[in-house]
Amino acid sequence: MRLTQGAFSFLPDLTDTQISAQIEFALAQGWAVSIETTDDPHPRNTYWDMWGMPMFDLKDAAGVMMELKAARTALPERYIRINAFDSTRGWETVRLAFIAHRPPVEARFALDRVEAEGRVQRYALRRVPA
Amino acid sequence: MTMLADPMPGTETPAPPLRQALNLADMYRDSEIGPLLAELDRDLIGLQPVKQRIREIAAYLLVTKARRELGLETSTPTLHMAFTGNPGTGKTTVALRMAGILHRLGYVRRGHLVSVTRDDLVGQYIGHTAPKTKEVLKRAMGGVLFIDEAYYLYRPENEKDYGQEAIEILLQVMENQRDDLVVILAGYADRMQTFFSANPGFRSRIAHHIDFPDYDDEELLRIADLIAEKEGYRFDEGARAALADYVAARRNRPDFANARSIRNAFDRARLRQAIRLFEAGGEVDADALSTITAAEIRSSRVLSRDG
Amino acid sequence: MTVMEKPTAKMDAKKRYSAGVLKYAQMGYWDGDYVPKATDLQALFRITPQEGVDPIEAAAAVAGESSTATWTVVWTDRLTACDSYRAKAFKVEPVPNQPGQYFCWVAYDLVLFEEGSIANLTASIIGNVFSFKPLKAARLEDMYFPPAYVKTFKGPPTGIVVERERLDKFGRPLLGATIKPKLGLSGKNYGRVVYEGLAGGLDFTKDDENINSQQFMHWRDRFLYCMEGVMRATAATGETKGHYLNITAGTMEEMYRRAQFAREMGSVIVMVDLVIGWTAIQSMAEWCRANDMILHMHRAGHGTYTRQKNHGVSFRVIAKWLRLAGVDHLHTGTAVGKLEGDPMTVQGYYNVCRETKNAVDLQRGLFFEQDWCDLRKVMPVASGGIHAGQMHQLLHLFGDDVVMQFGGGTIGHPMGIQAGAIANRVAMETMVLARNEGRDIMAEGPEILRDAAKWCKPLEAALTTWGNVTFDYASTDTSDYVPTPVAS
Repeated sequence: MRLTQGAFSFLPDLTDTQISAQIEFALAQGWAVSIETTDDPHPRNTYWDMWGMPMFDLKDAAGVMMELKAARTALPERYIRINAFDSTRGWETVRLAFIAHRPPVEARFALDRVEAEGRVQRYALRRVPA
Repeated sequence: MTMLADPMPGTETPAPPLRQALNLADMYRDSEIGPLLAELDRDLIGLQPVKQRIREIAAYLLVTKARRELGLETSTPTLHMAFTGNPGTGKTTVALRMAGILHRLGYVRRGHLVSVTRDDLVGQYIGHTAPKTKEVLKRAMGGVLFIDEAYYLYRPENEKDYGQEAIEILLQVMENQRDDLVVILAGYADRMQTFFSANPGFRSRIAHHIDFPDYDDEELLRIADLIAEKEGYRFDEGARAALADYVAARRNRPDFANARSIRNAFDRARLRQAIRLFEAGGEVDADALSTITAAEIRSSRVLSRDG
Repeated sequence: MTVMEKPTAKMDAKKRYSAGVLKYAQMGYWDGDYVPKATDLQALFRITPQEGVDPIEAAAAVAGESSTATWTVVWTDRLTACDSYRAKAFKVEPVPNQPGQYFCWVAYDLVLFEEGSIANLTASIIGNVFSFKPLKAARLEDMYFPPAYVKTFKGPPTGIVVERERLDKFGRPLLGATIKPKLGLSGKNYGRVVYEGLAGGLDFTKDDENINSQQFMHWRDRFLYCMEGVMRATAATGETKGHYLNITAGTMEEMYRRAQFAREMGSVIVMVDLVIGWTAIQSMAEWCRANDMILHMHRAGHGTYTRQKNHGVSFRVIAKWLRLAGVDHLHTGTAVGKLEGDPMTVQGYYNVCRETKNAVDLQRGLFFEQDWCDLRKVMPVASGGIHAGQMHQLLHLFGDDVVMQFGGGTIGHPMGIQAGAIANRVAMETMVLARNEGRDIMAEGPEILRDAAKWCKPLEAALTTWGNVTFDYASTDTSDYVPTPVAS
């Protein structure tokens, strides 16, 4: 299964040139870019592990690319995503997030069901072991 | 590390065909470094050897750019530099201009200057230094990293000094990411020599040395005039004579810092002028408000006998 | 009433309150020197007075009929601080290029309105005045709400920021589709369309406005099958999905019952139609706030009073009322699709939904500066006759914070519903990527889509099927202000 979280999951995996261009875009908006990684991309797993702190005051994408390469080398079996934070009043949240690295074998989920009254199903998403 | 993905079809631009010849004068004009060099000549007093070196480096960068465009050279040249000289000799100012020149010639993408010292790079405890150094490097990428008094990074007397960790990271980035930033190391000439001897890795990665000589007395006087003019003040005849004495005396004191000492002297003279006018009271005109007299200079501790 | 004479200045109290019929302007509903107070509400009406009716008197009548006036003098006014209860028309201007029409500005004291009640607000502002005989037609064009009034409302229960955080989707428009055919599918067949659309790549699917609980599909059955589709698609993609379950019903009790069941089934969102009325909308907003639910608003019925330019209520006013009342999604038009909407005017609605503060923007129909006092942002929904081939136009007009709904453009795809969803998602992501890379998507959009179609068969099929479909009719609701060319 191809995990379709993030802004560009329906496109072929982005090249480093393409990733760099998206980071340049984020920096041009005044957003701070950060890198996060996980081995558990469950949609309710909000808090991926931070690869260092958000990078404030960067002028150029090279700094983020340096960290991205380091993260890929250290954690090739994990998902790695790029986030861009906007601190503008009224936003104060992520404005762009996309996957920049996928593990060789992607995560899969199964749907667990529990029968309840009146044909109701209680659903739970479960990670299927690779 | 391997490239992870296929490029998106249709977005790769083919390399433009190599050209047979170029016009250097056109390239010079198009890069718009001419005005930068002219500005440097005009705004910086003295520093003839420095200006000459910068012109040489600019020419070299332009020619290298032409060689790359004709396919004679493919690798990114090493552009890291060392600026040596005493305090107040214009190293930071020239570094700023150098960042502009590198940017206009396309050697750095943004052209900003991040100026740091040891404290910005080296941490206080284990695990603190690498993130600190990397953060500075990331902020400087696309521009120029200026490390003032770079030799303080290296403290051989302390085996466990975290400076060594910063040095290793710096060297790695200076070697591997020459496209992404240019590093300028600055400081006193003699201490830089010692530093380079102990850290040959730096010496081999520095492509250009520029030595900043001390200003002579006459240059320092012109600098004083320039500073006063920028602030809307002027020295009268007596003040100018006093300044000449001041400069000669100031040079021999241990904490002499060239233009910076003159700047400080001006700031103190301006305060003394204010208190003189304040205590005199009465009417003042524009001329009185903008004139610094001999008294304001002569009352400096540098010139007073008990000194 | 007889034909009005030229109105005169205000009169002294003795004459003013003697029994009889007076001009509205004389009663104190016109004050050309009035400067609105910081706490006043303001309304801008477009009025078309009957032949022979003076525009100032007509404006005063609008102010009077939307506040305290009755047709004759009442002595009981004198038991109150009546001047403060009178709305004041303070400016009248002819509408550019529309003979016989006037813009009139009316200010209302804050005391006239109950806090936190759109029903009370609308009972005043549009209560009687639109049937008033001396006017041929009247339209409420825009309104201003002072912070003192805005702060009496809670606004959207979720808002754009929290919706995105909850869905974990950032940096691109959301993608939806309305299940088609809108009427007749059984619950089981209906849920199939939900699953196919979401598994294909949509973020949301949607009930249509008139899908409630008819004989062919009772609501409970629909909810069960739809949630089965939603959860299956979530498991298949690892991505949070949703279906707007329409809980519109005949009574509040029934709406609460349906909302509660949607919540129990794990839905992230419920939907209501504008026709349920202001009080019901505010109640559902309260419920959504208490239950962490996104509230999707379908603007069913608005065209009856928003479309004609000379009479009714502009949709930008409806959008403002809905932001105060508290909805999270609002259908605001597509400009390029099958439903009414001039691009600039539609952008004005989007700005009302999404900006922290609106600046005066006459070309987009915004007459007032409006501070939303940190009320959350409403996610606009572009729905109706749009397809993947228009992606560059949609993204250029509306940006990232919008739900693009391609109903026919998904379900009618020749290769199937999943292929339809893929085509739309690829078109959207490829266009966002290109825009962020600095490409001029309005100029290069068709080429960018064609390039993506080279590796994405479903997109190629979509472009072949709908590439040339446009709905190029003149809009009825366009701006009265055009940019003035300046010599350059």
